[in-house]
Amino acid sequence: MIAVALGTGFGLSWYALNDGRLFGAVEIGPWQAWSNVGVPGPDPYTRAYIARSGSLELGASEGLQFIATLDSDNRRLDRSCRYRIDGSTPPARFWTLVPVAPDSGAPITRPDGPTDFHSARLSRAPDGSVELYVSRTIAPQNWLEIAGDGPFNLVLTLYDTSSLSGAGANVATLPSIIREACA
Amino acid sequence: MIRTGLWIVAGLVLGGIIHIAVILLLPALSDTAAWDRVTALTPNDGTQVLAAVTPDQPNPLHLDPELTYAVCRLDLSKGPGTVVGNLPQAFWSVAVYARNGTVLYSTTNRDSTSTLLDLGLFNPAQTRLLAEQKLDIAEGLLIVEAQQDELMVVVRLAPPHPAMRTRYEKALAGLRCGNLPT
Repeated sequence: MIAVALGTGFGLSWYALNDGRLFGAVEIGPWQAWSNVGVPGPDPYTRAYIARSGSLELGASEGLQFIATLDSDNRRLDRSCRYRIDGSTPPARFWTLVPVAPDSGAPITRPDGPTDFHSARLSRAPDGSVELYVSRTIAPQNWLEIAGDGPFNLVLTLYDTSSLSGAGANVATLPSIIREACA
Repeated sequence: MIRTGLWIVAGLVLGGIIHIAVILLLPALSDTAAWDRVTALTPNDGTQVLAAVTPDQPNPLHLDPELTYAVCRLDLSKGPGTVVGNLPQAFWSVAVYARNGTVLYSTTNRDSTSTLLDLGLFNPAQTRLLAEQKLDIAEGLLIVEAQQDELMVVVRLAPPHPAMRTRYEKALAGLRCGNLPT
């Protein structure tokens, strides 16, 4: 009984704060966000998440941050693979996409290169959609060179966006993360 | 069989209680993670610009490498707080944090073409005084009432290009942040 209790209690807590899908985190394709992280009175799960993450969360009017740890086929993002990030994003003043190390939060890009994608500095298709590549090996279109080995996360931050909040919330459009080739 | 089932159900109920306790106690135990990290990075008072995020340095606050950040801690028990200054014509936003890391107030420069940031922070007693004085509030002044005295203001500024970062950091460093005399 004690084992069941401890397993359920701590396991569920760990799950709630890491995965969080059932507990206040929003999931859109491979992307996850804690939608109440920037409001003055967050719910207990969001509050526990804030305490545990210890990061400077964006206020609700500033923007919204999505994190992907898996690709669109639910495989862990791995630096030895080439990923195509394809699709369109919700309306926002601008957005950034940063590949980061899971533990330290530091960008995993080549030290003397760009650290992220910025929505205003991309080559786009005539319909406005973008095709981004994140890989260690050279790729076409918009390419961000990463370094090192092991898993990584993708952080997509929308600034000045109305997604997930208020009327006209438009959350259906986030790009998919497609694994192409692995070294 | 029934007995085993009962034990498992009891275990699950106890597990649920442990889960609720963990979720509710966690903020109390590690209440000030973000606050403490910022304090460690910026020991001084006044406006502090955070160092740029680079691949070779850990990024515990999970900052966006594209943005520049100015941080200022205020104690309203010493008087109303104020953050004033001019910022370049680019995206900027302001967030006021409580000690426990929750965002009490946030806004962006979306609706204004103004480059002036003028933020006043008041606790309930100071707000009451302000209302009693019936002062004319200048247009564009942001007034925030906070229940807590200890606050942290974070200004995010987005340079259009990384090459402009130094100039934008200088603009952030020029923000005046402190307590008004009472």
